[in-house]
Amino acid sequence: MTNPAGEPPVRMYHVSKSYMAGQYALHDVSLEVRRGEFVFLTGASGAGKTTLLELIFAATEPSEGQILVLGRNVARLGAGAVPALRRRVGVVFQDFKLLDDRTVEENVRLALDVIGTPRREARTRVFQLLKSVGLQHRRFHHPKSLSGGEQQRVALARALVNEPEILLADEPTGNLDPELTIEIMDLIVAAATRGTTVIVATHDHSLIDRYGKRMLRLENGRIAEDQPAATAGIGSGP
Amino acid sequence: MSRVLVLLRVMFANALRGVRQASTTSLLAVFTIAVVLVLVGSASLLVANMTGILDDFGAELQLTAYLDGDLPEAELPDLAERVAGAPGVASVIVVTKEEALERFERIAGGGALLEGLDENPLPASLEIELRPDARTGESLAILRTALEDLPGIEELAHGEEWIEGYTRAVALIRGAAWGIGLVLGLAALLIVANTIRLAFYARRDELDILALVGASRTFVRVPFLLEGTLQGMLGGLLALMIVFGGYELLLPQLRYGLELLVGRAELSFFTWSESLSLVASGAGLGLLGAMTALAGWRGES
Repeated sequence: MTNPAGEPPVRMYHVSKSYMAGQYALHDVSLEVRRGEFVFLTGASGAGKTTLLELIFAATEPSEGQILVLGRNVARLGAGAVPALRRRVGVVFQDFKLLDDRTVEENVRLALDVIGTPRREARTRVFQLLKSVGLQHRRFHHPKSLSGGEQQRVALARALVNEPEILLADEPTGNLDPELTIEIMDLIVAAATRGTTVIVATHDHSLIDRYGKRMLRLENGRIAEDQPAATAGIGSGP
Repeated sequence: MSRVLVLLRVMFANALRGVRQASTTSLLAVFTIAVVLVLVGSASLLVANMTGILDDFGAELQLTAYLDGDLPEAELPDLAERVAGAPGVASVIVVTKEEALERFERIAGGGALLEGLDENPLPASLEIELRPDARTGESLAILRTALEDLPGIEELAHGEEWIEGYTRAVALIRGAAWGIGLVLGLAALLIVANTIRLAFYARRDELDILALVGASRTFVRVPFLLEGTLQGMLGGLLALMIVFGGYELLLPQLRYGLELLVGRAELSFFTWSESLSLVASGAGLGLLGAMTALAGWRGES
């Protein structure tokens, strides 16, 4: 797949998304996110945060404008090319989206199963990932027996097991208490420090203040504010 | 192991997992297919046996050529040979005047009826058996024309009406079997497709998550197609067992009834290849049902 080094992995040019004529979920949005950059996406409910993330992982197509993700024009992706793009983009949701009938290990391994990773190699990688999120001892448990924070760590492990170039998180801490929120956010920030481009949608301003990363504020589908990363902050940097 | 093999193994495991987990829906699909195939299988078995009985009757349909009383007996073999060469004739049996008399006496219980007569009044005849493809009104007319002008043949006795009735009966039964099979098959396809669609919607979350982590359409679809095929195969097997059970159970009564009605009772069950066809039909039905159920799914969340 094409994405020349140095080229921003996410580029949007005058992107609009409308689900009903005359009503825009996203309106004339242009932005670039650099490789390894960490961006908070914030705004009130309905501001367009989720739509923007959906456009990046090709769950929907733009009504107008162009989106280049890892060098691929999302609007022109054929149905067969969407899975290939998604294998390079990890996604985490507020509701975890785990399969309750499968163990933690099986849930994380899903992302490796779909690309035909041999069982032994997959197990090793899953174990390493679960270890990095502190859940290796829970790998044979089912999601229902885990706490919310643990479930989100499993979802994060699944999103990262393929070593994606982009990690998208839609309100990943929305269902968690403050302590678990920090635990999850630290893991996400750690992914960014390893070179993954991270975009986190949140309406939790304390997180934005705490981490001091670049912040894009959406208002009625438009970018109302693009605040660069602070020079100081936890995990500060791009 | 190559990636393709790993993918195949995972897809097969997912199919089995699907059957196990959606056990109620799976059972419903298996039973639906079984019910339909029991109907289709029973109808096929009935038609096969009915056409078998009709074929037996057909084999007995024959033309009798009564011969001129002046024809010397020595010329009979030559005439029989010429008749055997006529279109649609399978075989010819020569019945001499003496043999005709013997038969009459046997049937009438002695020669008392003919005692007053000076000579044997019964003519010699040729019993002409027809080839299966010639047991139609048209073929019979052609044969009649060919035989009528032969010297030595005085009269042709035939069962033209019988033969036309036979032809109509066979055509009707075969047509009805096709019609019933088609209607049942279509109904089955719709029912199976809907049952599998239910299973599909029940696992919508799983499919969305698979799409999310980059599963290809093939990776998502193949387990469902395998599941449908497997369910269909099990349904076919179950149907075969039910039809066989029913056949064995009803056989004595059927034999008795047939003997009363038509004087014969040779019935047979499906051959091995026909039995396998029934099971394969189930598998095909399950596969088609799964394909129909998946037709609208784009494979993207």
